[in-house]
Amino acid sequence: MRSIIKSSIATAVLALFFVACTDILEEQPRSIFEPGFFKTEQGVNGGLTSLYAHLRYIYGNAYWYNAGVTGTDEATYAQSADANFKVMDISGQGNITPTVPGGSTNLWDNAFPAINTASGIIENASAVGLSASLIAEARFFRAFEYFMLVQTYGGVPLDMGAGELKFNINPARNSVRNTVPDVYTKAIFPDLLTAVNDLPDVGRLTGTVTKTVARLFLSKAYLTYAWWLQNTNNIPTYPDAARTDPDGHDAAWYFQQAFDVATTAIDNPGPYGLVSTFYDVNVGSNDRNKEILFYADHTQSSEKYTGASLTYGSGGNADNFASWMMTWNYTEIRSAKNADGTVATPTVLREASQDLGRPWTRMAPTIQAFVNTFADKTNDSRFDGTFTTVYRGNWTKGTDKTAFYYGANGLQVYPGDPILTFLPDEPLIPITYTTGAGPSNVGGGTLPGRADYVISPSGISRVTYPGTWKLSTYRTDNAGGLGQPNASITRPFPIAKFSELYFIAAEAAVKGATTTTGKSAYDLINVIRARAGKWKFNRAANVAKTDDYSAAMTAATPATPATIDLNYILAERSREYYGEGYRWFDLVRTQKWGELAATYRIASATKGDHTAVTVTRSIQPYHYLRPIPQSQIDGMEATADEKAAFQNPGY
Amino acid sequence: MVLDGIPFIGSLNEINNDDIKSIDILKDASATAIYGSRGANGVILITTNRGEKGQKAKVTYSGRQGINKIFAPYPMMDGPEFVALRAASARYTNGPDEADNINTDWQNLFFRNGLQTSHDIGLSGGTANGAYNFGVGYLKDKWLSQSRGYSTYNSIYGEVKIPWVKGLKYRTTLGLDFMQDNNGSYTAEGVGSDNATTISTASISNYHTTHWNIQNLLSFDRLFAGKHQINAVALYEADQYTSFNSGTAAKGIPSEAFQFYSLGQSLGEITTNSGGYSQNGLISYMGRIMYEYNNKYMITATIRADASSVLAVGHQWHTYPAISAGWNIKNESFMQNISIIDRLKLRAGYGQTSNQAVAAYSTLGRLSSRDYNFGNTTYATGYYVTQLPNPNLGWEYSETYNVGLDFALLNSRLSGTVEYYISNTKDLLLSLGLPQTSGVSSYTANIGETRNKGIEISLRGTILDNVSGWTWEAGVNLYRNRNELIALASGQIKDEGNGWFVGHNINAIYDYKNIGIWQIDDPYLSILEPGGNAGMIKVQYSGDFNPDGTPTRQIGSADRVILDVDPDLQGGFDSRVSFKGIDLSFIGGFQIGGVLVSTLNGPSSYLNLMTGRRGNIKVDYWTPTNTGARYPAPSGVLVGDNPKYLSTMQYFNGSYLKMRTISLGYDLNQALIKTPDLRMRLYFTVQNPFVLFSEFTSEMGMDTETNSYGNQNVATGGVNSRILTVGFNAPSTRNYVIGVNLTF
Repeated sequence: MRSIIKSSIATAVLALFFVACTDILEEQPRSIFEPGFFKTEQGVNGGLTSLYAHLRYIYGNAYWYNAGVTGTDEATYAQSADANFKVMDISGQGNITPTVPGGSTNLWDNAFPAINTASGIIENASAVGLSASLIAEARFFRAFEYFMLVQTYGGVPLDMGAGELKFNINPARNSVRNTVPDVYTKAIFPDLLTAVNDLPDVGRLTGTVTKTVARLFLSKAYLTYAWWLQNTNNIPTYPDAARTDPDGHDAAWYFQQAFDVATTAIDNPGPYGLVSTFYDVNVGSNDRNKEILFYADHTQSSEKYTGASLTYGSGGNADNFASWMMTWNYTEIRSAKNADGTVATPTVLREASQDLGRPWTRMAPTIQAFVNTFADKTNDSRFDGTFTTVYRGNWTKGTDKTAFYYGANGLQVYPGDPILTFLPDEPLIPITYTTGAGPSNVGGGTLPGRADYVISPSGISRVTYPGTWKLSTYRTDNAGGLGQPNASITRPFPIAKFSELYFIAAEAAVKGATTTTGKSAYDLINVIRARAGKWKFNRAANVAKTDDYSAAMTAATPATPATIDLNYILAERSREYYGEGYRWFDLVRTQKWGELAATYRIASATKGDHTAVTVTRSIQPYHYLRPIPQSQIDGMEATADEKAAFQNPGY
Repeated sequence: MVLDGIPFIGSLNEINNDDIKSIDILKDASATAIYGSRGANGVILITTNRGEKGQKAKVTYSGRQGINKIFAPYPMMDGPEFVALRAASARYTNGPDEADNINTDWQNLFFRNGLQTSHDIGLSGGTANGAYNFGVGYLKDKWLSQSRGYSTYNSIYGEVKIPWVKGLKYRTTLGLDFMQDNNGSYTAEGVGSDNATTISTASISNYHTTHWNIQNLLSFDRLFAGKHQINAVALYEADQYTSFNSGTAAKGIPSEAFQFYSLGQSLGEITTNSGGYSQNGLISYMGRIMYEYNNKYMITATIRADASSVLAVGHQWHTYPAISAGWNIKNESFMQNISIIDRLKLRAGYGQTSNQAVAAYSTLGRLSSRDYNFGNTTYATGYYVTQLPNPNLGWEYSETYNVGLDFALLNSRLSGTVEYYISNTKDLLLSLGLPQTSGVSSYTANIGETRNKGIEISLRGTILDNVSGWTWEAGVNLYRNRNELIALASGQIKDEGNGWFVGHNINAIYDYKNIGIWQIDDPYLSILEPGGNAGMIKVQYSGDFNPDGTPTRQIGSADRVILDVDPDLQGGFDSRVSFKGIDLSFIGGFQIGGVLVSTLNGPSSYLNLMTGRRGNIKVDYWTPTNTGARYPAPSGVLVGDNPKYLSTMQYFNGSYLKMRTISLGYDLNQALIKTPDLRMRLYFTVQNPFVLFSEFTSEMGMDTETNSYGNQNVATGGVNSRILTVGFNAPSTRNYVIGVNLTF
């Protein structure tokens, strides 16, 4: 009896739990966000931040950088290049294909989520009560992404699954590409015009977009579209479209618009402007200066918020590691411990400094960069402000405290002395190069009386070439030592500069836009050149230098308007923006890629080889568009014909 | 897993081996009906030792001492071989701390033998009214990592006989589980970096899980007229599982003594991770009737309805039936004279089971976060959509047809079962990748239908039954399963983006087909592989040819082929021989056919870059004087950091024969000790002794056991995450154990 009562009570107590909790079927997440969050104010603000954050996946990414620079007159592939770098050179080392696209996929992979997020903000923002200027930031990003897409791939889809320019949360597995004029007239121009109108003059936070940024991209979009309409060199477009503007204007109208918008931006700079010297534009200690309008930010202060390791960068998506590509392996330089040349020791160690950095040796500058583009190295401070030509001994920053080593000609070298120098010009006496790597271990030659090994411009090779300085590492926490050279670069990666407004206006002027007083192509380019004549620091000599050669620079500019031609503007662009990722886009827009990059000279990847050879590129008209990535084609649910039609011709 | 009747959320190795009385595996739909959707992939029933009523107190002791050696080190090139590789690649030269005449075997320095000691003492017994079981164990294993956890699994139940109806009982069971895990880690300054001043880091994390389960069971069990056995069951069950976790990491630990115990005092950046919370619930109703006539014919019918919180509203409930019939042929009158057959039973069944194995909140979609800095001091977190909501996400369910025969012959000296099944899984739940132009990367959906069909045979025989003191038993089981994707919800035949191909295994591999190495003078190299070189991997070309015999295009994505991974046959075997108290037994497994994927040999790990940049596994590579090699020339064309098409080198023939344990034991009962209550056994066991007939083991020397999912334990990329691979993980071990079992 007792046991029955006991077990009944026990059962009854337990049965209280019987009360069916049907609300256990409801879900309430407490640590994740779902798309409904975008309808709240925090969600919309978070969406805006993610738009800025996505920039890191494209700008600063080495593979996207490769797509913008390799294969142009500025650079080619280097000794450690793999197929992704070699195919971009279009010189017989393999073809660019949808499966080996050389880094041009970074944009395709990252642009559409950003466009979708921007559309989501624009749609939800009014419900949430977001200010017009914040909505304008989203519009700017949407237009900016479409502008980059249309330059790279041709026409792209405006409808992501919920209608044109609508926020999509449907699992859309098919896609239709709009034509180039559709993308410009439906997406890029309307969004940028609203952005120019609604964005503030001064950014709400450091680095957020403003009127001037929107004006720069609007004028550049007008310029690029005008070229497309004109199509002087008959470069095909895809999807097929006639070269007429749906809004009824012609190329001349757009060139004029480009000129007008650019000059308005120059005249209403707001907080922006040109900094006083070219050195100041790119030196690490002056990051986020008034000339850099738009950048993908990083910081040394927080590993979490910089999105990359502060000690060892893996070369992953959000890292800033583009500059490593055109950095050769200077750590292989050796000096001799003994006077007889024995005991080769490294004397230029890997250091987290803007001169040095982490060498990946995937890309190399062409010889014409030194001989043609930067012909003037004396008056024009830009050569010295672009390349690292002197490699100085820094061994005492590590554990080696040896007082001195022996360099070329058995002469002694001390910490801070040049160990290897890339001469700016051909020397009067020919350099004596060793065979193979030689005592310098990198094939450096000797000149009488010099303790440093030397290489002249004609001897630049795929394995030994001057380094690039502008985008390189800069840290303030090295504490006098070598620091963390392998870390991802903690500097913002520049996307657009105030100086480009001058170039856009000058190019529009050369293409027939009516100019205003003081703003002819000659005047505009001379502003840039005059500034380039002002020195602050001579990096090659490692001393301050405050000479002002602006007068000489402007005097050297071709005097009559007729001789400021397109080729001259393109050459000036290369002098100003060498190795910053612009070149392919500039050459493709002006349809000069096949002409200016047809051949280049460089010595081979064998150490000690300094005999330059001429390499021919076989750039075809279809190369002016990059391939749609194979992952997009594979991911679509479409017939084989539809898939083939989605891909750009030739791929 | 079900532990003594209650669904168990822990892992099998949390249960002490000595406590396990029996393990049963349930596979068909009818048997798993009582467990519902959790049993969709089968049920493991574990019954533990409990004391029995009236049993005299019994003490058991078992002790073990073992040495664990690694099965095989990674087969890395030694100094001279690496020097040759670097020279053949012609890409890298020695750095300041490398020289050609150095030859260090790092693995030899790194790996030590592991020592494992364990002691378990148990006490069990019973009184007239109840039973008890108590145990304590000690395990010291120098191989395991430091992590402290606490788990407790409890259940209470109450049972009441309904007085008015004979055979009717009502029982309520409440199960409550709680698990907690704390982890801490500390890395001192300069450790694991080539810079001695690299900042120190530390982190802690906590995981809590609670689970409650309540079952209300009404059962009726009665024998009518001596021949009709009826058992009926009605069940209502509710289940909820909640987990949450948090963690903190810091840099710049002020004192080595602090380790991870005082992160708040760190000098550098302190970050708290986003933390996690997950809760999911299940409600079920089930009714079952079993009818057995005279121990000869039986039929079972079940109907069950489940609802799960992880599925979309409107699709949360699923109702499914199961029916099975059995015929105990042996009990028929015509079988009574056939003495050779001791047992013969035929069974057939049809049933549905459902599966809701997707993560909680999958129907809601997901935003991911990206941190960003504006300048050096302003920080913010951004959000963007990475997974779409799916308001139509419903149950995945399987329809299984099975037929089986159980038999025992020759005085039960030979027994076995043969079983054949077809299982169609519909509305398969998987993550579906979307093309970039949709703006979102994936969503979880019911994507299609697969079929698994197969045959299983198991045999057990007593070959010698105490013949002059010799006893020999052996058992073998064989099975063959074919998995096939029948249809995709999208109607496609091929979905290359997700790796799904109708007509093939759902985890098929989609890659180029390796047909050797390009030799010097092989025709059409410049057409098929522009920029290529002799010595690179040659893959099959499936395109067209011009009338003059030249290929029309270069090799590209259209030349990828589908590689099926189903083995032809798999199985296990065991055998035990004993003579007067000495016994020798072994257990092993085998596979014929199938594919073993080793990411070690491919482009995802950094062990086979072949460029001379890092240490490399020992591979036979092509050079102009070694043209018969399988691996490509190190100086050839690269994609990423590896030779082109190196992924084709990671697929090995999956056949193997593996011995899992060999054990020699000695039972002292007969020889030394006459006390009837005392039992003692000594044994020596080798675990994982050897592997035979494996292409992977012959080439690499390593164990064929997979140890990673496709995208785990790789440096970059990887293969499809659902495929199991041999990846870069702690190597498996061969263990030598001496032990003693004592009962008194």
